[in-house]
Amino acid sequence: MITSSTLSTPSFIAASSPKETADIVLINANIHTVDDNIPWAKAVAIRSGRFMAVGNKEDVTPFIGDHTKVIDLEGRFVMPGLYDMHTHPDLALAPGYADYLNIGLEDPTPEEVKQAILDYADSHPGDGWVYGQYFVRYTFKQAGLVADRDWLDSFMPDRPVAILDRSWGCMMVNSRALALANITAETQDPRHGYIERDSITHEPSGILVDGAYAIIHATMPPTPQHALTRAYREGLHFQSGHGVVGTKYVHVCEHRLNALRSLDQDGKLSVRVEAAISWQDDIFPVKRRWELLAGERHYYRSNRLNANAVKFHFDGTHESRSSYLSTPWPGEKNWRGHLNLTPEHIVDMVVDMDRKGIRVIAHCTGDGASDIFLDAVAQARARNGNSGVRHQCAHSTTLLDTNLARFKALDVTAEFSPVGWFPSSFANARAVFGEERMQRAYNFKGVIEAEGNAVMGTDWPVSSLNPWIGFEAMITRQNPFGEEEGQFFGQPISLEQAIRVMTINGAWCMGIEQHAGSISIGKSADLIVLDRDLFDIAIKGNLHATQVELTLLEGEVTWDRMGAFTDTDMAATWQEPLPAF
Amino acid sequence: MSQQHSIPVTLVAGFLGAGKTTLLNHLLNSDHGRRMAVMVNDFGAINIDSQLIVSQTQTTVSLANGCICCTVEGDLIAQLSTLLADPQTRPEHLIIEASGVSNPVKIANTLRYPQFRQSLHIDGILTVVDAAQFDDLDSDMTRLATEQLDAADIIILNKTDLLTPDQRTALKSRWLYPNARVIESEHGVVPLALLLGVERKTTAEPVSPDGRHTPALTAPTTTFETFKAVPHQHDSLFNTWSWQSDIPLNLKALRNVMASLPAAIYRAKGICHVAEARDQRCILHLVGTRCEITPAGPWKGATPGTQLIVIGKRGAIDANTLRTLLEACHDESNLGVVID
Repeated sequence: MITSSTLSTPSFIAASSPKETADIVLINANIHTVDDNIPWAKAVAIRSGRFMAVGNKEDVTPFIGDHTKVIDLEGRFVMPGLYDMHTHPDLALAPGYADYLNIGLEDPTPEEVKQAILDYADSHPGDGWVYGQYFVRYTFKQAGLVADRDWLDSFMPDRPVAILDRSWGCMMVNSRALALANITAETQDPRHGYIERDSITHEPSGILVDGAYAIIHATMPPTPQHALTRAYREGLHFQSGHGVVGTKYVHVCEHRLNALRSLDQDGKLSVRVEAAISWQDDIFPVKRRWELLAGERHYYRSNRLNANAVKFHFDGTHESRSSYLSTPWPGEKNWRGHLNLTPEHIVDMVVDMDRKGIRVIAHCTGDGASDIFLDAVAQARARNGNSGVRHQCAHSTTLLDTNLARFKALDVTAEFSPVGWFPSSFANARAVFGEERMQRAYNFKGVIEAEGNAVMGTDWPVSSLNPWIGFEAMITRQNPFGEEEGQFFGQPISLEQAIRVMTINGAWCMGIEQHAGSISIGKSADLIVLDRDLFDIAIKGNLHATQVELTLLEGEVTWDRMGAFTDTDMAATWQEPLPAF
Repeated sequence: MSQQHSIPVTLVAGFLGAGKTTLLNHLLNSDHGRRMAVMVNDFGAINIDSQLIVSQTQTTVSLANGCICCTVEGDLIAQLSTLLADPQTRPEHLIIEASGVSNPVKIANTLRYPQFRQSLHIDGILTVVDAAQFDDLDSDMTRLATEQLDAADIIILNKTDLLTPDQRTALKSRWLYPNARVIESEHGVVPLALLLGVERKTTAEPVSPDGRHTPALTAPTTTFETFKAVPHQHDSLFNTWSWQSDIPLNLKALRNVMASLPAAIYRAKGICHVAEARDQRCILHLVGTRCEITPAGPWKGATPGTQLIVIGKRGAIDANTLRTLLEACHDESNLGVVID
């Protein structure tokens, strides 16, 4: 320990000495630094992944040497890279890449379903699962058949089969699948679902409804590694191409961490990733949760990757009126929504995780849920002192005004997801909290004015992985695409505030604001070059369409649409066109 | 365990404009003598006769006959829990309109969740089909149509008067399935006994321990079996038969018979003595193409026996055929014992 700290001091001084030359120098730029000491600059010099100079051309010229790559940005706008603090590329993409059975017909007849299962089994020999989609119960009715285990057993008795119904109303499994999952007459029904059974013998029929899928998923092999890796790779590619330098993939398991680690080792982790271990097995089973939380998570740690967080759904959703509110839902006498964990559970968990140095990211859509979460963090602070762990209130759709100041006081991040910030049929359908609550929905402004830390998360696939859409909408609260007129509920924030939300606030939320999040001397050389000056455009209808010309993370070129580094040894991590999601 | 009765639920599905609201109106305004709750998307669309309205809030309309009508908002689970928890609003029969754009299978699945198992059961799922609009659907609508038809226990085919006989045949061959129970109607007016499985409540009906209404039955007879048409106040289009037997029935055979009943039979209900569950009274509940046979507690001194009532289209059912079918369910291993 002593050795490493004595070594690091001289190296830092050397990095800022004019005798050292820069790897990259950007000149003739219009740089919004998000650093109050030097808010605007024209040039930067980068060496070994850090900014060694920020200022005018004359400040960087002394660092230009024979091997320095000097780029004239011709007045282009530059700002720190973006932070997307809540998203799910794996959930959005991996199932589609898993090579599961896809019958691919709109109305397959039972005979077609049978043939597809047999063909899949032939092309995937062995005793593995035949899992996929879809069958249509109606076509069974038309054929005078019953969709159940007996039907599947009649042609595939020895190999586990699980086929989803087209409308996701149920899953049909055979006897082998039931046996592997240990689903018998005695098995208890899950929450929010059931095992269809014979009314007299209670033997399972092979039809599983809603929550009962999880029993099969827990038995099946995890989503294949190649599918998870591909999903994350494409997600990272898209994010780098949109200027993201820091992100959180919330809900991971050991397999997802392995996929992220393999990308990290391949040099493809082009965004800093905080991966939050799922606290909930109904999303996907996390078989090594307790080993991970006890310390196995450190195995994955690098300067780009950490798994020092947990994620769970503390309450429900808008659509199902299960968000947990501080007072009853509109039109209800008693119904306040639903908590998935008891308040006691959350207090013990937050105190325990906080003590371990693990960030708790709690999905709280209702103002009652975030209230209880903040209480739990207060308990943790009271019992553990300030551990330095900044917990995160995810979505924060509605917050109590009385809680706004607590974000600052308790060092909790208020994270907002942009899906409902602008008028659209989707957002309008979700605006169900009642007029009074909706007026203070997505209260960035309230949190920021109370000096708390507010960030955004795209929450893909709930909304687009493109962070620029929400970036625009938090400033306008209007539909970026002009599909619908008018301003949505809640208060817009200024461009300057929104830039901080997208940059330094994200770095704070990841606990790295001392090293990243602004264009400052000594900090990680993260920046993006844009095709437009955000201070010189009409925000509405324009900001969301911003093209990122260049993305640097730790001085590494992750995205280079302008081709500035093509054919150099600093060529961008991602060379192919952006994936279109 | 609570002695609360399980509430029968009728789910009404179908496209917008198919005639669901006409049907609901008919149900609400009929003289059924039950306290009904109707959950709809928008009661503005129901056009409730203002003379009947006793009180109204933003989400609930109370009617003079004790019925209430409320809007379904968001979480069905939450709303059902609230409705069932309050003795003031707890209905004797619940009708849920599945919106013209939602999938009734999902609602039916929710109603079968374990948390509702003691408090409610699906009596029937009725899908209302507008014969005139049904054969001209785009692909999304086709998918929803098949889901609605899949969920249906009984299909109510409305506005068939607008079709030629050829069109009617084509519609049926394209959309229906073997043994589908179809009631053709011009104005959504269908006898209550078929829709709800209840008659006007003139005399107290015996209620089984699990709360499911069982038909008014005569005391078990000593006769081996009977099968006869029962005179009834039904619409003249429908008829009711009853059948009794004290020989235990083979479960599989009984299920097979119920699954293959002629399409002219819409409902069957009663108590069964099933060989595979001899010590239990089993309730048989058949609505259209769905039949459930559910244990409902011990016989408690009553003589075990089967008593069924069957409702079907007048003139389309041969009592002898029905009797033969049901007799074939007698569990062979017990015949000797009974004859002795």
